[in-house]
Amino acid sequence: MNVLEIRNLTKKFGDFIAVDNMSLNVREGEIFGFLGANGAGKSTTINMISSLLRSTKGEIVILGRSIASDVQFAKMNIGIVPQDIAIYEDMTAYENVSFFAGLYGLRGAHLKERTEEALNFVGLGDKQKSLPKNFSGGMKRRLNIACAIAHRPKLIIMDEPTVGIDPQSRNYILNSVKQLNRMGCTIIYTSHYMEEVEEICTRIAIVDHGKIIAEGTKEQLKAIVTDTKNVWIEVRGGDHLNINSVKHIQGVLSVRLDDHMLKISSKGEINNLNLILQQLIQDRIEIRSIEEQAPNLETVFLTLTGRNLRD
Amino acid sequence: MKDVIWLMRRVLRGSLRRKSSWIVYIGLPLVGILISMTLYGNSTGGDLRVGIVNNDGDQVVTQDAIKFIEDLGQIKITLTDEASLREDIAASKLDSGLIFGQGFAAAIRNGDPIAGKVDIVSAKGAQVTAYIRSMLQNYVGNSAAIGRVTQGDASAFDKVYADYRENSFKLNATTIEDTTNMKDMTYQSIGFLVTFMMFSAVNLTELILREKENRTFNRLLSSPLSARSYVLSNVAVNIIILLLQIVLTVFLMKAVFHIDSGIPYTQLVFVLLLFALASIGLSLMIVAFAKSTKAAGAMQNLIITPTCLLSGCFFPMDIMPDSVKKISHFLPQHWLLDSINKLQHGESFGSLGLNFAILIGFAAAFALIAVYRFNRNNDARLFV
Repeated sequence: MNVLEIRNLTKKFGDFIAVDNMSLNVREGEIFGFLGANGAGKSTTINMISSLLRSTKGEIVILGRSIASDVQFAKMNIGIVPQDIAIYEDMTAYENVSFFAGLYGLRGAHLKERTEEALNFVGLGDKQKSLPKNFSGGMKRRLNIACAIAHRPKLIIMDEPTVGIDPQSRNYILNSVKQLNRMGCTIIYTSHYMEEVEEICTRIAIVDHGKIIAEGTKEQLKAIVTDTKNVWIEVRGGDHLNINSVKHIQGVLSVRLDDHMLKISSKGEINNLNLILQQLIQDRIEIRSIEEQAPNLETVFLTLTGRNLRD
Repeated sequence: MKDVIWLMRRVLRGSLRRKSSWIVYIGLPLVGILISMTLYGNSTGGDLRVGIVNNDGDQVVTQDAIKFIEDLGQIKITLTDEASLREDIAASKLDSGLIFGQGFAAAIRNGDPIAGKVDIVSAKGAQVTAYIRSMLQNYVGNSAAIGRVTQGDASAFDKVYADYRENSFKLNATTIEDTTNMKDMTYQSIGFLVTFMMFSAVNLTELILREKENRTFNRLLSSPLSARSYVLSNVAVNIIILLLQIVLTVFLMKAVFHIDSGIPYTQLVFVLLLFALASIGLSLMIVAFAKSTKAAGAMQNLIITPTCLLSGCFFPMDIMPDSVKKISHFLPQHWLLDSINKLQHGESFGSLGLNFAILIGFAAAFALIAVYRFNRNNDARLFV
């Protein structure tokens, strides 16, 4: 069963097309990764799923019902963990969760029980009476999650839930996501951290310029780039590098220089490493190390979009 | 509706938890009343301090005349000598003085009120002497009339005069309260209240911008709460807080500071509530046009303070030039103050329909502009 169906979804802002005829399905029980660089259209898509934005064209269906015809049903069944922490600093952790849960109609003993349950789930059970202004970034992120899950939504949308937090809190959140999934929640997860997506997502869509350019399990996505090889060369003196001359070497698909790391994707069947190195030496670039990368989501993304996810 | 009440509870709790809110909502109107009382309180009522110099000895007629002055009410007499009298008047210890010359009683007995005249001394002019002069002339005139009728017959004068004292020429004085100062004080207190109400309304509506800035606005709208319910809850809280502000200010004016507004208090609260709606409409409009809380703050200062000034919230409209008076007709504050002014001058509540309609019209116009602007903003603000 599809928890979410997006059909030919388009969103225009004036002449700018933020989401371009996008279609995708998210099945019940999935942790669906939504990958895209800044401005790719994923937040606009999420805002349309959350009913914050109206689509220009197309349809969004939640649990079999179109958002256009029954927005309340959709909202009741979705839990949003926004990228920017959306909690009230002047209310205690308990009051925050209780307030947001109350917006979904929970009241009385039921509300109290769900609030405590959500706070315990994110590990803030002992901080119920504390004000968020005294919390660390990780604790605030966890409270942000508690506010989204107290009403037990069927679909949880997590937009960059681990931005700017310590590794311990990140692990806690990732484990929480897996646990929520085991409890029956379907999750849409966006992140800039490929390793997170690779670790927890069962299916992934890569978005670029408002379109889904690839979709599938991580194995399926990696298979897309088996006919390419990726070489990362650590260099010094990269300022002298003529990237275009490297791009024109036979078999090269894309070239990027990130800090001191030159990332080159080439066609798998062509051996062009000598030519690349010759070009670098000619450009008076100092070569510090050479490493061939096994296909991973980052190389998939780089190969498909020609840019890094954090661009 | 349940979600509106749920949100109202949060906003009310959040607002009332902040000490600064109490200062804005309650403290400032109180300050307004105190300023009005300072401005108008000094000129209210008080006894007239009259020094009396009796150069006519123990004459019964003279003593009666002094007693008559003392019994007039709101007059405090001090028996003194002429030199001290002039010193005390110069030092403002006395407002005026009466000097009963020697032979005052004899002149009255002879029926000559002119010869028996009393010197009235004052440094403040007719405003403090006119009352005493007119009352004393009356008394002296009556007594001298007895003297004229008895034509110098001392025993006849004593008899008729004794009858006159006994049957009495009784002066039934009813004090008619001068309410001018009280009305001015009410008018000015309301002027200050109006200003603070407008600031309070914007302060509360600004919450929408604050929620947008800290991203809770989007989080709320992704819940089953609709944008309409969200704005409605804000307006409802605004009405509650402003009503509280109005009732408390009126209560303080009446029960604590004993300011008689000259208007039934229910009518005063009603008119102020109509103005509160216009204030809320204006605050929505400011928030709809402002892109941040800072911008809203700047806009409220640019709009509220000058319009309050032009409408007579800080100074009486009478001292304004005609051009300013005409401009004020386009401001809601004018129509509120005009309503209060008319009610104070005895116009019936029912005859102020036009004023009330204009205030409601302002509220509706501001709110419609805000709604239009909110709708136009919506997509652009969420563009990411």
